[in-house]
Amino acid sequence: MLEIENLKTNFNTYDGVIKALDGVNLKINDGEIFGLVGETGSGKSVTCYSALKLLPKTGEVVGGKVTLNGEDITNASEARLQQIRGGEIGIIFQDPLSALNPVMTINEQIGEILILHQDFEIKKLASEKEIPVYKSEKWKSSPGVEFTIMAFCISFMSLFSMLGQFSFALPFLFVVSLMFLRDYLQTNVPTSALDLMVIDALSRVKLPNPKQIASSYPHELSGGMQQRVMIAMALAGKAKMLIADEPTTALDVTIQAQILQLIKDIQKEEKMSVLLITHDLGVVAETCEKVAVMYKGKIVEEASVDQIFTNPRHEYTKALLNAIPKGGKERLKVPDIGEPGAI
Amino acid sequence: MSNTILSVKQLRKHFPVKNIWGNDIALVKALDGVDLEIERGKTFGIVGESGCGKTTLMRTLLRLVEPTSGSVVLSKLSKDQVNLNDLSNMELRNFRREIGVVFQDPMGALNPRMLIKDIVSEPLVIHGKTDNMRNRVIELLNNVGLGEEHLYRYPHEFSGGQRQRIVIARALALDPKILVLDEPTSALDVSVQAQILNLLNDLQKKYDLTYIFISHDLSVIEYMCDRLAVMYLGKVVEEADTEELFANPQHPYTKALLSATPQFFAPDKEKTMILGDVPSPITYLDESKAELATQITDQERLEIKAIEGKGIDYIVRSSLNKVFPLREISENHFARVE
Repeated sequence: MLEIENLKTNFNTYDGVIKALDGVNLKINDGEIFGLVGETGSGKSVTCYSALKLLPKTGEVVGGKVTLNGEDITNASEARLQQIRGGEIGIIFQDPLSALNPVMTINEQIGEILILHQDFEIKKLASEKEIPVYKSEKWKSSPGVEFTIMAFCISFMSLFSMLGQFSFALPFLFVVSLMFLRDYLQTNVPTSALDLMVIDALSRVKLPNPKQIASSYPHELSGGMQQRVMIAMALAGKAKMLIADEPTTALDVTIQAQILQLIKDIQKEEKMSVLLITHDLGVVAETCEKVAVMYKGKIVEEASVDQIFTNPRHEYTKALLNAIPKGGKERLKVPDIGEPGAI
Repeated sequence: MSNTILSVKQLRKHFPVKNIWGNDIALVKALDGVDLEIERGKTFGIVGESGCGKTTLMRTLLRLVEPTSGSVVLSKLSKDQVNLNDLSNMELRNFRREIGVVFQDPMGALNPRMLIKDIVSEPLVIHGKTDNMRNRVIELLNNVGLGEEHLYRYPHEFSGGQRQRIVIARALALDPKILVLDEPTSALDVSVQAQILNLLNDLQKKYDLTYIFISHDLSVIEYMCDRLAVMYLGKVVEEADTEELFANPQHPYTKALLSATPQFFAPDKEKTMILGDVPSPITYLDESKAELATQITDQERLEIKAIEGKGIDYIVRSSLNKVFPLREISENHFARVE
């Protein structure tokens, strides 16, 4: 599915060049969950950002090859990359609240992805059901804005009528009557094909009342629900591969268990491949089939999950496993690796 | 217990929720009748998910927020008992010496414009222990694995683990008897976390400290704590010695919490999923609204449908909202079950 060969990424800073990735090799097969573990600054996230060319300006891929389904995308054009991001590879980011746009409703955000990657399907659905393609409720903004406009108009109207200047109140009366007229005219407009697809995407991640959630803003949802919306967005483009960058770090353990179960279920249903980036070895043990351990921009060990936990080979992997409290009072062995961020 | 150093009785902290007219419409019961007995020289753990009142408990213990009702009794010596909630602000300052605090985010707890020497000596200056201060500060830094060369640096020059060491050094400056640790390692990597946990264990042996350890990470809690209280929505739902609690959890939430923690040494153990979202801690004063909380939600119905037939045990959030009185299961093991 995705193959990364000898990938090298540098960051240019005032203090000199930092080699964030120093020859990373990864191979993710069809329909497998692959875990990438490591500590802060080991280059887990940079690997996935380099593969998709999502690096900040200071970062630069200096060598290596990325292959997706046999196609070399190392030097792919920006247009092709935009098709890949979301269309062929979906991404879930760590903190859902900062990854979602706070001033757009969930409907708009998922709709954006659908228009970019599923335009043909939307139009097909619209022509089959004979409903509008994109927008059904043309002039409707959010309920908060509606309420504010209404309140302003009514207060100005009463102010002017109290002052005895009825003519000044007329424009506001006009606005209010226009809003009512619009509501009257729009009572029987069917939902658009895009809305149906959004609702479908939301119900796939087992969100209740998808219609209501679609019209809400990110801050109105709880952390678990936000992460479900993120997963819905990543899946909306019918991607065959999912990159989950620390999907559960910001969540509680009980919610984390729900989200991991959801990712596992969806992976099975859609036969996707998943690249799960995490720092939590427990999460890897419960979800993944294969694991790669990263340290200082290199992959130091790659094995199946059973093997890595029962028979770790590399010193760093051993040290990492020994640093996790396992109950009992035996003293933790601290890996002798210096500071994790130092590259 | 004669060996109790801090005993908390029926501690409540209710935050009012007001509507736009300024009338109370609901209460957030952040703490709702918490009883704890904390033993001298032991580590007492408090676990729970975000929003269950762990941090409010810590802040109320230290009287950083005023409790609504209840008492916190600190026994300095066995005869000399003081209820912290009866003290005036000036009297309270003397007792603040007895309790040190380590907060979750070390960068947020350190003033970025102060030198390490000033940060660590600040409690000494406030409490007037200024003789031989420089040596005292160096001694404190040595205790936590830092040295004289770090005195004239700023917090941003240190890594996360070192910053947490500085916070611990400052907390120990006044020789406290109790150290309250509010998620001391949740911002750190596992290797650094292991260093800090080892350091805390060493310090406890050296100074005979009592720890109140707040965390949501069960593996850390299991490693550190002697006794454990599980909190859910402002109440202690289960309290027992750590080994007993991990071997024999009684409350459904404790069971779900234990099995939700991913463990790499036993990934195939039996699972209890907890379905539904974290409930709102708001209790409406209007009773018809308050009743809604115990009804099953749409989210839960969907998740039950998805999970049925997969052979996974589950409990539903809304069923946890019914409150039972605390009952003794076995010796020193209490749980709120039927």
